[in-house]
Amino acid sequence: MNDAAKTTIGTITVAEPVFSCRNVDVYYGDKHAIKNVNIDIGRKQVLAMIGPSGCGKSTFLRCLNRMNDTIVGARVEGAITLDGQDIHDKRQDVVQLRARVGMVFQKPNPFPKSIYENVAYGPRIHGLAANRGELDEIVNQSLRRAGLWEEVKDRLNQPGTSLSGGQQQRLCIARTIAVNPEVILMDEPCSALDPIATARIEDLIDELRESYAICIVTHSMQQAARVSQRTAYFHLGDLVEVGDTNLIFTNPQAKLTEDYITGRFG
Amino acid sequence: MTPSILIIALLLLSFIAYQLGKARSLAVVGGARGIRNLHSLPGHYGLLTALWCGLPALLVVLVWVAVQDQVLIALISAQLPPEVRSLSSDQFVLFLNDLRNVVAGNIPASQVSPATAAAAGEYLRLQGIARLALTALAFALGIVAMLVVRGRIRADLRARNSVERVLEGMLFLCSLVAVLTTIGIILSVVFEATRFFGIVPAQDFLFGTKWSPQMAIRADQVGSSGAFGAVPLFAGTLLISAIAMLVAVPIGLFSAIYLAEYAPSKVRSVVKPLLEVLAGVPTVVYGFFAVTTVGPLLRTAGESMGLSVAGESALAAGLVMGIMIIPFVSSLADDMITAVPQSLRDGAYALGATRSETIKQVVLRAALPGIVGGVLLAISRAIGETMIVVMAAGLAANLTANPLEAVTTVTVQIVTLLVGDQEFDSPKTLAAFALGLVLFIVTLVLNVIALYVVRKYREQYE
Repeated sequence: MNDAAKTTIGTITVAEPVFSCRNVDVYYGDKHAIKNVNIDIGRKQVLAMIGPSGCGKSTFLRCLNRMNDTIVGARVEGAITLDGQDIHDKRQDVVQLRARVGMVFQKPNPFPKSIYENVAYGPRIHGLAANRGELDEIVNQSLRRAGLWEEVKDRLNQPGTSLSGGQQQRLCIARTIAVNPEVILMDEPCSALDPIATARIEDLIDELRESYAICIVTHSMQQAARVSQRTAYFHLGDLVEVGDTNLIFTNPQAKLTEDYITGRFG
Repeated sequence: MTPSILIIALLLLSFIAYQLGKARSLAVVGGARGIRNLHSLPGHYGLLTALWCGLPALLVVLVWVAVQDQVLIALISAQLPPEVRSLSSDQFVLFLNDLRNVVAGNIPASQVSPATAAAAGEYLRLQGIARLALTALAFALGIVAMLVVRGRIRADLRARNSVERVLEGMLFLCSLVAVLTTIGIILSVVFEATRFFGIVPAQDFLFGTKWSPQMAIRADQVGSSGAFGAVPLFAGTLLISAIAMLVAVPIGLFSAIYLAEYAPSKVRSVVKPLLEVLAGVPTVVYGFFAVTTVGPLLRTAGESMGLSVAGESALAAGLVMGIMIIPFVSSLADDMITAVPQSLRDGAYALGATRSETIKQVVLRAALPGIVGGVLLAISRAIGETMIVVMAAGLAANLTANPLEAVTTVTVQIVTLLVGDQEFDSPKTLAAFALGLVLFIVTLVLNVIALYVVRKYREQYE
């Protein structure tokens, strides 16, 4: 493996970025998982990250809300700024960062609580609601925006785990938007779901884009093409190419990207 | 041959049969080259021959050993002189006792009556004949079976299937032994308890508040009527168990949380085995510790605060019992906490929950059923614990909620009722079985609930 970082092809910058990442390296112990990645993430748009397994796309995603902090031996270097502030700055509290940057995981992971309490959990720990009425309103709005309200409005007190897989994932999205983040990170949010549940989540992503910046890691190139405006292609820890989704899928500049999206490997 | 030598000889014979069967199976297919034509491995044919050779013969020997004494006595009784046969049944038992002692060589024949000596001689003569016959029969059975099986070995004989069926049967017998023993113990306790309840009414036992099980041996002694109200014992057991759980649950749970969530792996790898060593300390050592250290310490501390603490207080026993149970609670809670999927923690962290919020509101919540199950198991252990309370809690059956006084527990009373020489038909002794039955039922119910809760929890995340 060539350890030297390669130069990214395409436009890494956007106007008024929400996230701006420069020279980001991630190490897991001795393993160099992310190599000198430079990319901006724009507001009110979806950035899809694609690439073969082990290419570092999930690792990179987890840098953005510092979830790598929880992994023993993980080390992140370089500058990542959120609205111009370095997220690794000593004054930046990781709890507040994660309130601004929500995350949805590969496998739905509702808490062992009721549907209501799952959504109310974030607002509660951040003190977003002054009274029960406000909290009810936040839960109601979040479930509506996640497209789950109609299905669960009569059973808000049932455990979150009693829902189907697709409903659980939408519950997790509702839980995330209940704290009103600026960015939502999604780590293969549909890989555990069937095509119908996947379609619902994709519709939801499209709606959420009007309010949030969204980064989605996906193994499905069709999904990347359907939901995103920009696409980044990762390969073995390098960010090979980034650009408008239309361009990437119709006219990739890098040989590796072309090979991957045409199914020559991956 | 004596039966033990005979058994060894039969084992040797079976070994020979094994070799014969194995060799025969190879010979049938024309040596090792033809082994693919055999249905089973040569060893299976050997085992099959050995099992047929050894098992029936061994069974005959064992049956004879079991019934030999009764058969021989019956034979001898028929030809005893009339003066012996006219003895009363008690005296006849004594006669048989002498007879057995002479036969075993415990008493020289010159010290017993001529009739006994003659009978003993007869017994020995019959025993000699029987042994000879038994040896011949066992060997004949073994050799015949060995030859028959050897003769029937063909390439398509399904030896493996038969051998495995026999082995399966043996495994079943072993598990049966454990189950039957348990059932036997339960039945004996239930039976003796029923006898007790025939003498002392169940409501007096379960709801009476006075416990003084001393029964007079002769009718003219004072205090000849014992009191069997077990409430003070139940109360004492509860008090001590409650104190123990007050110590064990918080300390055990918090140490489990620390070990599972906070401790660096280095600390964990040292502390966790150390905690588990606590579980290996014999309870009598804890009892020691309670009597010689904790009891006096509490007493001095109590005096300095103007409280009177009994030398054998419920508090001392409960505290030490709590320490004993800590590793039990902590290792179960630790298992439950580490079984909570990392994805739940990630979900909470990603919402901006702090570590303590995540642990309190998500991890513990998910692990709660398992922890409750562990605590229930710990309670049933505390209730059944004996040695510490025997040494540290005392014998006085006080009905009190004051932990500074001496109390007694169900287990302590069972021990005191059954220590020393006992008649097995006095209510005093039978009371121990009734107490044992109560103890058994309570711990059984607790264990069943705990196992149910734990299992239910496990299903949730698999």
